Amino acid sequence: MNAPQAIGVDTRAAVRATGLGKRYGDLIAVDGLDLEIASGEFFGLLGPNGSGKTTTLHMLATLIRPSAGTAVVAGFDVTREPVSVRAAIGLVFQESALDRTLSVTENLRFAGLLYDLPLRVIGERQRELLELFDLADQRDRPVAALSGGMRRALDIVRGVLHEPRILFLDEPTIGLDLPNRRRIWRFIERLRARTGMTVLLTTHYLEEADGCDRVAFIRKGRLVESGAPRAWVERLGRHILEVEGPDLDGLAAALEARLGAGLRDGDVAYFRCPDEDVGAIARLQAEVGTRASAWRVRRPNLNDVFLWVADGKDLS
Amino acid sequence: MRVRPRLRPIYAVLERELLRMLRQRTRLVAAMVRPLIWLFVIGAGFGALLGETRGVDYKSFLVPGVLGMTMLFGAMLAALSTVYDKESGVMRMMVIAPMPHAWIVIAKVVSAAAAAMLQAILLLVLLVALGHAGRGTEWGLLALALLATSLACAGIGMVAASFSRTLDNFAGIMNFVIFPVFFLSGSLYPVRDLPPVLNWFATANPYTYGVDLLKHALLPHAQSADFALGLDLVVLAGATAAAVAVASWRFSQESAYEPMIRVLARRSE
Repeated sequence: MNAPQAIGVDTRAAVRATGLGKRYGDLIAVDGLDLEIASGEFFGLLGPNGSGKTTTLHMLATLIRPSAGTAVVAGFDVTREPVSVRAAIGLVFQESALDRTLSVTENLRFAGLLYDLPLRVIGERQRELLELFDLADQRDRPVAALSGGMRRALDIVRGVLHEPRILFLDEPTIGLDLPNRRRIWRFIERLRARTGMTVLLTTHYLEEADGCDRVAFIRKGRLVESGAPRAWVERLGRHILEVEGPDLDGLAAALEARLGAGLRDGDVAYFRCPDEDVGAIARLQAEVGTRASAWRVRRPNLNDVFLWVADGKDLS
Repeated sequence: MRVRPRLRPIYAVLERELLRMLRQRTRLVAAMVRPLIWLFVIGAGFGALLGETRGVDYKSFLVPGVLGMTMLFGAMLAALSTVYDKESGVMRMMVIAPMPHAWIVIAKVVSAAAAAMLQAILLLVLLVALGHAGRGTEWGLLALALLATSLACAGIGMVAASFSRTLDNFAGIMNFVIFPVFFLSGSLYPVRDLPPVLNWFATANPYTYGVDLLKHALLPHAQSADFALGLDLVVLAGATAAAVAVASWRFSQESAYEPMIRVLARRSE
């Protein structure tokens, strides 16, 4: 188990998937996915629910057998060497993997032994990690007595106890309130700062992916595009114009003639304003803005990118 | 790369199983009370009706049966906790661990058998204290019988667990697996005295040979056993191996952790 992994500093790609696909009967969950993640990279896989993020993650983690394509994780093929892949990765599932009837330390002891770690090593690492994740006071409490945020933090500790090269996080903050989401992000930051491990994250909370080195959008099982979050946002334009109004159709048509195709989301229409020139937007407001009941101009964010990509729009 | 199976993961599963058993006091108490009720209520009642058969009174005849019952229930329930593991999510910890998935089956079977043996030993101590076991017992053979029977029961339980997706099936498994296996064995009556159809079922039931082995060990001079000692051992070893093979095959299929996959498939619709 040690020999093949211990060879020097790893410059290989942490994850390389080629034409990766999964179908369940007629349902194509993942469709010909190409993905390359460098060692040490913090990579975000973004997409709406049901877009194939989790299926992709589970294929990379060897829990689902791909029906097409190949994937090499930490230098091992996911279908031919699943056990070696599993030894090199940590996976934090979307739902808890903890035993609620056992205490914090009992859970970590169980997890560590499953990774064939000696008890002494488990003891040392859990002390260190529980400290890092602010769980040191909770070590003897049953998991059932922990708050949702603490349980999620503990689940991450469980996922990194064996010091994996690559950590997969499947929606790590789903179902948590804002303070707890922030805490989880702080923990992940600390962990990355300390270990430099590669992190592949899925989320649909777009603002959380801002810290990623690179993000990729996945829609209906296909990778739409990938890039640095800042670059994506910049490609969207300088400003986003949000309008509401009684005759939204007419208003949108008038704006589309000037700004190109927009997006409709309920009672709001969104338009991209590529020019830095705020004056042009002000003039536009003077012309057609009188028909709007609300007129907001703001900086775009990753959420906008997501909405545009999810709508199937080309961002170029 | 050839992956050498490690012992620590097995120990992890074993430790958790025993910890859970010791914490679930009611389960442990039930495992002691159930066989004693059979022995002292059913045994006494039918004993009065039957008198001595083949040189033993009915209550003594029942001792191997109730000891086997403890192992059957103990091993089956422990093996079926795998279904709970699937539902509660703890199975995720096991499927993501760096070991072949068949190793989970082996670890679970070993743990369930250990839990069952512990309960059987506890009951045996009670039985000896109450004067219902111990005289003329072949202890070495008894140890072997406990081991072989609990492993076979754990194997059968693991097959049931690997095919059931939710705990809702639990009552079904109780009614359609555990009870038939118990009643269609030599636990309550000698197999050779059964009418033909029941005799066939009992002969085809691997658990019958576990009880038979216990009779060899506990009542060596009473000739209450139906089969040869060697046959008992061969059948039990064969049944255990077959059960582990089937459950491992089932686990290597993706459907073994079906709850997860189903959630995914539903989400993708």
